[in-house]
Amino acid sequence: MKKSEPFRHGKFPGVLAAGAGVLLLLPLAGLDAFLLNVLTLGFLVAVYTGSWDIVGGVAGQVSLGHALFFGTATYACALLTSLAGCPFPLAAVAALLLATAAGAAVGTLSAPLKGPFVALLTLALGEAAHEFILGQTFFSPQGGYSWGGEGGIPVLLRVQPLSPWTAYYAALAFLVLSTWLMLRIARSEEGLIWTALSGSELSARASGVDVLRYKRRAFMFAAALAGAAGVGFAAFVGRATADDFSLELSFQAATFAAVGGRGTIVGPVLSALVLHSLLQGTGIPPAGRVLLYALALLLTLRFFPGGVAGTLRDRVRSRRMVAPGKEGNR
Amino acid sequence: MSDLLLAEGITKSFGTTRVLRGVNLAVGRGEVVGLFGPNGSGKTTLANIISGLVFPDRGRVLFEGKDITRMTMDARFRAGISRTFQIPNPYPSLTVVESVRVALLCGQAARQPGREEKAGLEEELDSLLGRTGLFAQRFWPAAKLSQGCLRRLEFARAISCRPRLVLLDEVFSALSAKDEAELVALMRSLHREEGISFLLISHNPLILEELCDRVVAIEDGRVFWEGMPGDLARYVPATNHAHENEMHENG
Amino acid sequence: MSPLAQVLVDGIFTGASYALMAAGLALILGVVKVVNLSHGAFFTLGAYVAYVLEANGVDHPVAAVVMAAAIAFAFGVFLGKSFINPVRSHPFSVAVGSLGFAILFEQAAQMLWGPHPLSIDLGAPLATLHGVTLRRWGVISFLLSLGLAGGLSLLLSGPWGLPLKLIAEDEEIAGSVGMDVEKIRYLTFGAASAVAAVAGALLAPAMAITPTMGRVPLILSLIVVIASGMEKVWNLFFLAVGLGLLSNVSAYLLAPSWSYVLLLAVICLLLVLRPSGLATAGPGRDY
Repeated sequence: MKKSEPFRHGKFPGVLAAGAGVLLLLPLAGLDAFLLNVLTLGFLVAVYTGSWDIVGGVAGQVSLGHALFFGTATYACALLTSLAGCPFPLAAVAALLLATAAGAAVGTLSAPLKGPFVALLTLALGEAAHEFILGQTFFSPQGGYSWGGEGGIPVLLRVQPLSPWTAYYAALAFLVLSTWLMLRIARSEEGLIWTALSGSELSARASGVDVLRYKRRAFMFAAALAGAAGVGFAAFVGRATADDFSLELSFQAATFAAVGGRGTIVGPVLSALVLHSLLQGTGIPPAGRVLLYALALLLTLRFFPGGVAGTLRDRVRSRRMVAPGKEGNR
Repeated sequence: MSDLLLAEGITKSFGTTRVLRGVNLAVGRGEVVGLFGPNGSGKTTLANIISGLVFPDRGRVLFEGKDITRMTMDARFRAGISRTFQIPNPYPSLTVVESVRVALLCGQAARQPGREEKAGLEEELDSLLGRTGLFAQRFWPAAKLSQGCLRRLEFARAISCRPRLVLLDEVFSALSAKDEAELVALMRSLHREEGISFLLISHNPLILEELCDRVVAIEDGRVFWEGMPGDLARYVPATNHAHENEMHENG
Repeated sequence: MSPLAQVLVDGIFTGASYALMAAGLALILGVVKVVNLSHGAFFTLGAYVAYVLEANGVDHPVAAVVMAAAIAFAFGVFLGKSFINPVRSHPFSVAVGSLGFAILFEQAAQMLWGPHPLSIDLGAPLATLHGVTLRRWGVISFLLSLGLAGGLSLLLSGPWGLPLKLIAEDEEIAGSVGMDVEKIRYLTFGAASAVAAVAGALLAPAMAITPTMGRVPLILSLIVVIASGMEKVWNLFFLAVGLGLLSNVSAYLLAPSWSYVLLLAVICLLLVLRPSGLATAGPGRDY
């Protein structure tokens, strides 16, 4: 990519590096296990939200059923380890593949559709999966336990449980790696084409873009990352429940991303981390949390219509670009 | 096959409205053919069918001997037919150079880019932008261009992958005289140097007279006249009034 | 007569309420050009208004309807002015914001009235025909819905519908002709939200009143609007009634949760198969 193209991508390297540094050193500041766990989960949620931004922001296909990919991964891990006796690494790989396959399916089905229709179809598919999983009951191999529904299915790791520190750093590494990956692809040729078809599908088609194929690929990549977050979640929490498919979780991806700045990757990742940590880590009762979150959502979008990062990026853009109309624009 | 493009028996209805009734149209290699007709005549629908935005109810479209009637628009672009749009839809968040890069990348889809190819793409991009007079504005947001520049951007996109046929949909309408003259010059040079055939859709007989080898006149979904552009004014006196009205409307 | 007949009649009445909601949603989609995810919350608002009124001795559906409409209109105008209009340069953010409002409302309702289902006494039926009970809420919703459908249909095809159609087509032109586009936007939003609340108030006696009761009606009205397009008011009406019937009958024959799954399946099928005559143009605005 030519480096003289400051327009499309915000330059956030300083912010990101600083942020990563802070996170790296945070445990040394003497945080207790509870907060470490909150942050660890936050890292996973951040990757999940960033993955939404790939398909919903960069490629412009607003998905309201993103939890489908997450839940597929957690359930695959749980079922394969607990029922089929698979070792976790194998189950993890299978979970990733399944999530990606789900992404391909959803992408193919929604590719011919536009904007709100995609949202509606993904919502219906996500909820259908949710309802389906809620109704399923599984029986443990030893007999005597029935799993399923809201109680969920355990995930067997068969290793020593990780200490909060190890889990924290593993998740952080995962976050850094995933964010790097997402930014790389958003700024690559693939990402350029995704941005194009997000902006004007007609022009993209007239430019030779096989819209169906690229939409499907965006879904697959996003699903793979959401699935990876799901694998991490399954390992960390040790259980897969029907909530992993819930509408709330699907909405959360979209709303966190909106606050952060749809299409910026960095915005959604950071806002997910911050929002999750604030909501879960401070001592607010659950009812208050939701209320506060909804208010924060409304206020943020009111004053930062493009999300925090999105609005900042737009302001930076308009200051940086030579104003057309001044020179040579006839 | 001497014909580059052959559209036979094109029939299309939207709901109960018959928009095209058995239209035939041919464009030869290196030819500039004009498609003339008032609004509502069906010329835009015909253009959409030829470019792949819409599929006909009956009839077929042959390009270089191959039946492309059901080929998608992007596949046609890669096969050598491109088009411009009457109302350009620039990508809201891309620059000029990025917008054209998208087209170049997708045209390249068939070939496997190696390192040399990558460098070649950047050069091709620069030369394309220079050709269409957009080099100075290449880092501007595409959405902020003036009408004249947006039309050039359409050109750049349309010719980026060495098409054999380009459909120009009212590309000269509602432009200042200066912009129009520059665009005409661009089209002429492309025709001369690359041997690109053009299908020029316009309701302006003067432009058609200036640029076309042959003109096809459509009204009410049917071809009712075909001939030399010079004869256009004589054979379609009734539509001159429609043209005048449109001139008033379009300003 | 068999209980099935009762289920069918109730299904039609339910569908009529959904048609009200769908009409409101279609107006918002067409004129305000927003995918409004708070529509279900307004439905729920109407239901709780009806509940509160009944708990305080006011039993008549008309009173509930009027109160619900007034309160919802006020809220809708407020939301339109303070959020929907200022953020309209980013349609996605407007949609998410409307979702935020829905979440806010659901939570507030839960805090005020608790998460458990509440119910309103059905009261004496209006009439009984051949063993089928016709209830006041049902008859009123059917009549209102019919009236609204007819009214909208006339409005859109007549001269008074032109301002709305103009705004739906091109806001710039509408503005340049001197129309106060901003005002029309938030007034339309308020009016449509009021209609959703009316639907909720009317349907409240027939449903379990919970904070999240508006979700399924929202999804239902979304699919109705999408499937029938925004202009065809009568298509909207009949499709909504049809879906109401389907949902009631399937809940009766199978189970309520199956009814939801069936609805989801219908949505998926409609969107995947896209039978001709389905609005392929859709709301016309990509995010």
